[in-house]
Formats: sequence, C-alpha cells, structure tokens
Amino acid sequence: MSFAEERIFAVGEINALVREMLEGEFPAVAIAGEVSNLRVPASGHVYFKLKDASAQIAAVCFRSDARRMDFELEDGAQVIARGTLTLYDAQGSYQLIARSLEPAGRGDLERALRVLIARLREEGLFDAARKRALPLYPHRVAVVTSPTGAAVRDILSTIQRRFPCVEVLMVPVQVQGDAAPAQIVQALDAISARGDVDVVILGRGGGSIEDLAAFNDEGVARAIHRCTAPVVSAVGHESDVTIADFVADVRAATPTMAAEIAVPARAEVLARIAGLERAAAVRLSGRIDGARRRVDAFVRSYALGRVRGSVEHAMQRLDHARHRAERATGSALGERRARSHALDARLAGLNPRDVLRRGYAVVVDASGGSAVTSVTEAVRVRDVHLVFNDGAASASVTGELARDAGQRERAVRGVSK
Amino acid sequence: MTEPSLTFEAAMARLEQIVADLEGGKLSLEESLKKFEEGITLGKTCRDFLDRADLRIRTLTADGDAGDNSVEADDDDE
Repeated sequence: MSFAEERIFAVGEINALVREMLEGEFPAVAIAGEVSNLRVPASGHVYFKLKDASAQIAAVCFRSDARRMDFELEDGAQVIARGTLTLYDAQGSYQLIARSLEPAGRGDLERALRVLIARLREEGLFDAARKRALPLYPHRVAVVTSPTGAAVRDILSTIQRRFPCVEVLMVPVQVQGDAAPAQIVQALDAISARGDVDVVILGRGGGSIEDLAAFNDEGVARAIHRCTAPVVSAVGHESDVTIADFVADVRAATPTMAAEIAVPARAEVLARIAGLERAAAVRLSGRIDGARRRVDAFVRSYALGRVRGSVEHAMQRLDHARHRAERATGSALGERRARSHALDARLAGLNPRDVLRRGYAVVVDASGGSAVTSVTEAVRVRDVHLVFNDGAASASVTGELARDAGQRERAVRGVSK
Repeated sequence: MTEPSLTFEAAMARLEQIVADLEGGKLSLEESLKKFEEGITLGKTCRDFLDRADLRIRTLTADGDAGDNSVEADDDDE
C-alpha cells in the first residue's frame, strides 16, 4: 500500500461516516439496562447512562418524547429504552436517542396479567350471564375508594346532584400500594356481610399499570364476584381496563359515570311518577265511562218498572265513585290538579240523573222492551213510558212531527231495505 | 329491605302494577277506585321521598383503620 492510496479523513468527516453506519445499522433498538447519571437541564431533555454490570452507553431522551413517559424516571431504575443509535459529533461518542422508556418489569406484568385474565375468563368470572341488573331506585349506595382522591369527590357530587335521597356508605380503602388489594377485599366482604347495600361503586382515578395493580388482583376479582350487591367498577380512564372492570356487573369509564349509572336522575323519576298518576287517572276515567255505558245499556234494555231500583243503585255508585276519585285526586295532587282536569270533566258528566234533572226524559217501550231511540221506533211501538228525574209517565205516540234531515235519509234507506 | 315501611323501589313497583291493573280492564268499578286511590297515595309517598334533599353519608369504620387512611391523592379523573 502506498501513501498515495491512503485515505486521510478530517475528524468531522470520519465522525459523519461512522454516524451514517450506526444509524443505518441500528435504526431501531431496544436496550435493557439500569439508569444512572440522570440529568434534566433547563432544556427539558433528559440525559442519562444506561448500564449493566460491566458496560454503559450514553442516552438522551428529548423533551417532546420525555413528556410522554407515564412513570418517574430515576437513577437505579431498570428500564427498556427504545430508539436509534447515533454519534454525537462534538464528542465522538456514540449514544442512544431514546424515543420511549418503560419500566423493565412491565412486560412480565402484562404477560402475567394476560394469563390471569385468560384463567378467570375460563372459570366464568366474566360471563355476561352472571352480571346482575342494577336496582332502578337504590336505597343505599356503598362507595369503595380512597377517601382523599378525586374519584370520591366526583362520585359524591354526582349523587348529590342526581339523587340526593339515597344513603351513601363510604368504605375508605387504599387504592394503590401493597395494602390496597386486601383492604378492597375486606371492604367488599364487609358490604356483603351487611346485606343492606343495593349497589356498590368501586373505583379510583386512572393511572399506570402499576398504579392499577390492586384492580388487577385476583383476590379483588373474586371478592367482586362473590359480592352480594351488584358492583359498578370505575377505574380511571376509558383506556385503563382492569380485571375489576371485567368482573364487575357494570363497567363505567370514570367515577362520575359510575355514579350516573348507579343512581337515577331525580327529575326523571318525578316525571315517571307524574306519568303513572296521569295514566291511572286516564284509566280510571275510562273505567267510569265504561260503567256509564253499561248503565245506559241497562236502562235501554229492560222495562222501567223492573230496573228502577237497579238504575238508582248504579247511579248512586257512580256518584260515589266520582266523589271518591275527586277527593283522592284533589287531596294528593294539590296544585297538580290541572293534570287531572280530564278526569274531573268526565266524572262530572257521567251521572245520568244530572241529565234528567236538566229537563231531559228517557223514552222506553211500554211493552217491556228497550229504550226508544228513533222517531220510526216511537211511531211503531206507540205506547211508551217517559222517565223523568222524579218518576215516570205513560204516553201514546200519535204521529211523526219532523225528522232531522240526515236522519231521514238513513231512515228511508232503512225502510226500503 | 332495611326500612320497615315500603321502600321507594317497592312503592314505585306497586304504582306501576296498579297502572297495569287499571289498564287490564278486568277490575270492577269499586276495585278500580280502590287501586286509583292507592296509586295516588303511593305517588305522594314517592314524591315525599324524593323531596329529601340532603345526601346522607355514613362511613364504614368496622375495620378500625378507616380514620387514619393515608393514601396519596389519586390521579386526575377524566
């Protein structure tokens, strides 16, 4: 080899070449190691070394990527860093540009979780068939959560706003940390033992998979499963689904939504009550109309002498019915009386005696038949009884005086048929 | 359940049953009236219950450590 053939690089040139090689060869790497020499200057970029027993590599996580980290990075932490290798020209040292960082154990945790979920599903803990319906109108709501978190505030204010007539049984527990699963299990079992709770809200604000560990605990899952009251789970955000959510009878995305699911809105219940009262009034009104039609039919279909007593009795009953319905409606509904106006109007018009009192009479066939309802019939039967408010008189029909125009046509058709 | 008198849920269920009975049209006038009167009374009972304005909150302290719970604040909700 001659000197003429020797290639002489400038420092920057060789660094650039090595950087190209590095970046080309390792565009995406995942490196497991321990964090050390952690520094976060004012720029917000995070500088650290990744090391193991005998080696280390410089690493940087730029501010925009560091912001997306969902855990606290600290010296000594075991992490998996993902990113690209590059060369820092100014120092001639190579480094990792970490685009994402996660705690090293997380993968194991997720695997363990998947295995547990599969096992509990196999056992039937998540079966849709065993999910219980929530009571429409709970009387006592148990709230199992941290007494200091945002979750409890959201739950209580939502219940206060929607349905303040319930009783809330607060069951304070730790929702994260080593003691959390045992406390949650104890709380759910205590609620079951009481037997007087209609619905349970179990929840906390969202968090990382480590924070939610208690809600992925097998013991907690089984306690939810055996709880005698239906359980609404409310663990954090939409994206944080835990085993507790799978086992719970109803899953709510947030604590506020859990409270909305657990209790009805007072205004809606009041509207429902009003609707039922209105329906009852309309039905009763219809029932009274029915009774009235039967009394009318009764009067028409029997000889006056035989039915006088029965008619009187029926009239009295209708009078009495009207009175009672008015009293019940009036005393209970008070100012809501306007709503039962339709009922009142129908009640007022139903007494046949009121009609007779106003100067009308009922014409009945004297030969023991039905009420006479047309001119044709009156002329035909001739001998009739006239029923007045205070009694009856016999009469003879001597001829036809006049006919209503519309009625005549119908009568003519009827005769010529 | 826990209350000696009719619970709200039972009162609502009864009111709904009464309306269903009245709709069934199989009742005598006298029975219809009785049901109607009962329905109106139930409606008032339910309304009185709903008028209770203040949330009653009790804390279950049977396990003894309820008072000195030292959990850090949860993350934000929503």
